Amino acid sequence: MVSLLSFAAACGGDSSSDETSAPTETGAPTDSGAPATDAPAEETPVAGGTLRVGLEADVDGLDPTASALAVSGLTMAAAVFDPLFTFTADGDVVPYLAESIEPSADFMVWTMTLRAGVVFHDGTPLTTDAVIKQFEITRNDPLVGLAVKPYYPETGAVVKIDDLTMEFHPKEASQFFPSALTAQLGYIASPTWLDAVAADATLAQAPVGTGPFVFDSRTEDSMTKFVRNDAWWGTDIIGPVYLDAIEFYPVPDPSTRTELLQNGDLDIIHTTDTDQFPTYRDDPTLALDIDEDGEEYFLMINTAKAPFDDIRVRQALALATDRQGYYDLFNAGEGSLADQMFVPESPYYNPDVKQDGNDPAAAAVLVAEYCGESPVDADGKELCTDGKVNMEYQWSGPSVLATRIADFYNEGWSESFNVTFDEKSQADHIQEAALGIYNVVGWRQFGAENPGDDRVWLECRNIGGISLNWPRYCDEERDALIMEIANPATPEARPVALQQLVQNLHDSYAYIFMTYSSWAIVQSEKVHGRCDRVGSDGVPLVCSTNGRLYFQSTWLSN
Amino acid sequence: MSTNPATSTAITPDETIVKKKLGVGFWLCVTWLGLMAFIALFTPLLPLKSPTQNFLDPANGRPPYSPSWKHWFGSDKDARDVFARTLHGARISLTVGFAAITAGFLVGGTVGVISGYFKGWIDRISSFVFIVLLSFPSLVLAILLTSLIERSLLTISLVLGLLSIAPVGRLARAATLQFADREFVLAARQIGATNRRIIIKEILPNVAIPMSSLALLGMAVAVVAEGGLSFLGLSVEKGITWGGLIQLGSESSKTLEEAPWIAFFPILMLFLTVLSLNFAGDRVRNYFDVKETTL
Amino acid sequence: MRYYVQRVALAILLLLAVSMLTFGALNVLGDPLFNILGPVAGDVNNPESVEMINTAKREFNLDRSLPVRYGLWVSDFVQGDFGVTFSSTGQPPVSGVISERLPRTISLVLMAQFFAIFVSIPWALITASRAGKVSDRISTINAFFLVAMPNFAIAVILKFVFSIKLDWMPLTYKADDPLSSRIFQMVLPALTIGLPVAAVYQRLLRTDLITTLQQDFILLARTKGLSKWRILFVHALRPSLFSFITVVGLNTGALIGGSIVSETVFRIPGIGSTLVESVLRNDFPVVLAIVMIVASSFVIINLLVDFAYTLIDPRVRR
Repeated sequence: MVSLLSFAAACGGDSSSDETSAPTETGAPTDSGAPATDAPAEETPVAGGTLRVGLEADVDGLDPTASALAVSGLTMAAAVFDPLFTFTADGDVVPYLAESIEPSADFMVWTMTLRAGVVFHDGTPLTTDAVIKQFEITRNDPLVGLAVKPYYPETGAVVKIDDLTMEFHPKEASQFFPSALTAQLGYIASPTWLDAVAADATLAQAPVGTGPFVFDSRTEDSMTKFVRNDAWWGTDIIGPVYLDAIEFYPVPDPSTRTELLQNGDLDIIHTTDTDQFPTYRDDPTLALDIDEDGEEYFLMINTAKAPFDDIRVRQALALATDRQGYYDLFNAGEGSLADQMFVPESPYYNPDVKQDGNDPAAAAVLVAEYCGESPVDADGKELCTDGKVNMEYQWSGPSVLATRIADFYNEGWSESFNVTFDEKSQADHIQEAALGIYNVVGWRQFGAENPGDDRVWLECRNIGGISLNWPRYCDEERDALIMEIANPATPEARPVALQQLVQNLHDSYAYIFMTYSSWAIVQSEKVHGRCDRVGSDGVPLVCSTNGRLYFQSTWLSN
Repeated sequence: MSTNPATSTAITPDETIVKKKLGVGFWLCVTWLGLMAFIALFTPLLPLKSPTQNFLDPANGRPPYSPSWKHWFGSDKDARDVFARTLHGARISLTVGFAAITAGFLVGGTVGVISGYFKGWIDRISSFVFIVLLSFPSLVLAILLTSLIERSLLTISLVLGLLSIAPVGRLARAATLQFADREFVLAARQIGATNRRIIIKEILPNVAIPMSSLALLGMAVAVVAEGGLSFLGLSVEKGITWGGLIQLGSESSKTLEEAPWIAFFPILMLFLTVLSLNFAGDRVRNYFDVKETTL
Repeated sequence: MRYYVQRVALAILLLLAVSMLTFGALNVLGDPLFNILGPVAGDVNNPESVEMINTAKREFNLDRSLPVRYGLWVSDFVQGDFGVTFSSTGQPPVSGVISERLPRTISLVLMAQFFAIFVSIPWALITASRAGKVSDRISTINAFFLVAMPNFAIAVILKFVFSIKLDWMPLTYKADDPLSSRIFQMVLPALTIGLPVAAVYQRLLRTDLITTLQQDFILLARTKGLSKWRILFVHALRPSLFSFITVVGLNTGALIGGSIVSETVFRIPGIGSTLVESVLRNDFPVVLAIVMIVASSFVIINLLVDFAYTLIDPRVRR
């Protein structure tokens, strides 16, 4: 649930990013402060300055109860909101805006205490009423609520004890509970502001939280500005906020983003465009940080719709996919091929699970068998033509890169499949994936800091009108495994169960794993301290997650 | 396609060089067009490399590969053969161009001749429709329509055909008007010929002459329009087109810098084809000495 | 007077027809709800989603019948209210998008016209004075080449030569740069649009000039011993400019169409590139507004050219 609804960005996500040639209102600032050349590595932080951040996209709103926040949205949200809990650099969950949390003996009741004396930017105090109000609004949102609803009873899900203490009553015992409150669901917004948003939706563009930065101004698709919150509650407990202001610029085209960074029009960018990685390495004025153990890029198959309701066809598609060729062409030697949702270094990695692929002959055998049965769909339409399975590959476009990738897949598949291309606008693409109107799409997902949080994509209960279980694959055995992973009583069973889950995912053939997404964070040499964030007890916090950035501890040398 | 054929390619008759023959240039153009038509028709049968196969050659490093004996026009970023792809590109580009202008002639030509012959309310309505269609810059209308429909060979041809209706129709109408009151038409009517017979026997042969050059010029505009659409990613899905190839070669300045051949070979083919159509159309017009005023 | 009223009435009728066509096509063929609500728009079995769908429909007037919506839109539009964009919040208003981006397109088109005119006039003068000679024939071929080069190919070539190989010109446009840099950044995009048009203008003006040069008063001037250039500039150019100015006027509308490709290649956030983006996003109010602006400028310029004609030559009024 941590990467809640990151599908808005993941849609059509490729391991390399979309290089649409659409014009962009880049609007980077004009004062081209030349990168400082005399910035020694070890320096005491100085306050002041405006950080200019290049993001891969804009969001349609910054309301944690309703906006689909993907990587760019979460990065902006992290400036203005504080999460109830957060991840340490070691992957543990610690309280942040919350003071503490205690499970009952059976893990069915979690008692959370909020920090005292915290106020929102509009002066409203942080109380349990605010958290409960936000919980209910979120749960009733038809989209964001999908990650909440299945896990709580209709009534009595959250109970107020006093102004700072409350209880969560989830449906089931889960050892992951607090980690669900580390991102979108944990970003607490001012209840006064939420009321105002309900009355006037345009206010969703001007968020009010408790975070280290205060919303200043925002022009959609151009620039969003936050200024330092001098009254931030964390200043004494956690550390000072150095930057005067942060400006976020959405720059969808990765080469333009790079160019702006090199020109000094931006100070830091994130990107998945592996083509550009060598450029960053060659530029001595830039610092490059690559994060490869997060999401995976994979092909996702709708198992609820013929012909892919037949596992043989799904398997055949995997076998017909030229994974090696994909890596050679589109990854430029960066990152690596993925066999499963965990990297080899992970304790949950299952060394026995290998992603099928690069075996067109085996694919042809399966397809011949399937088509030999002359299958028809619900409307009586033939599912095979000339001994090949008819299918559709969908992506969001127009995008040169996405089209190249589609052409590439088609080249491998065409021996056994009649592939129809279906290029959809971004909005329609997300729509059809969420509603299950597709055969095969490319997707970027998984990689939650806490692997149990990826359950929201996998369980039977997440299938519905809008499914977060995109492939609409329901398996009782898988659900049982997930329950076992979540079971607080048996933490020792977790690694094995996760390895079994990896096997289960493989055996379903609902995903064809392609590559580990490589997120590069590139910053100019005057940016410092980004990874020096600590929690309230001084423990180092995670530096970046799947391209998401945090700037509380960042400072600029002049 | 920024302008319609009536103005953009309006190369006026040239008193100083008018010679009543088509000239070497014309025949060169026709040869080139014939070659393109041959390629468009028979690409699948030609001994070409597959236009979709990825000829990855690890020994040669990362694609794109520069032009060589193996890949005459080089390869693109996906190690596909640019020569084969450029020739295959002729198919959709020329098919769409031809189909569009044919559709434009069938509809626009018919409506134009009928309204020029009968005049009256038919003429008023059709003229108004033509002006409405011409009030959209053609690319705007094309983008509008192609974004709303499934983009197949047929629909793209129809959209571009729709765009050519108004210019074709206006010319057909103007040409018909010139002949509708001429003696031979009146004479035919006197001896009791039906309207239908007059249009087919008397009007059409005369109108066809000025229209013949418009067919070539109009096809050039349609080919360019298709190129523009596919350059914007709005032409036939899953098809190899010149515009699409050019877009692929120029999407980032890095690609254009490192592998200019990806974009420039298709540009050359497109340019020569459009040039040939324009030039041939212009020669035909001079040959028949069509008056500019009919436009 | 009656003539003018008739022409204006026709123009208004024309714009109404264009808007009806566009409005109809967009509303019949596309569904803007996806754009406003995302996947929720298709989640019709969930009561909460249905409520959101209904709210959005009310907010964006999508629950009214097509003619009513059209009526509402027209009455708003003529009052300068172009409606709201089809995003989840309706922000920014369409008029905001247009007022921010239209000036860029207008400057681009004006700059393209400027280039086209100032390339074509000297070009035409030189070639007309040497009609039929080798240099004239070469220039004729050049004009043919320019006309045969699609503008997206010209854009690619200009970018390759002047930005990449020679590194004289910037690759892209930056909206926040100072005016002087932005003008510089617009040179290649303007040339992309202007060069083929220059060839058309040159052909036209050259022909007119040749005709004028054969007139008696030119022969008279020549016998008086006036210099060749003086004759060309002072005596021949002015009478030849009549149809030239007409075509320049009529082309302005068409140039906005040409700016679509140029703005897209050089990443200028003008209304041309916005049209492409909005069309792909199903953002119909923006699309409608842009189409209407382009069509209106087209029609109005036509009207003005017609009126200019009648002022010069009253016979046209018939």
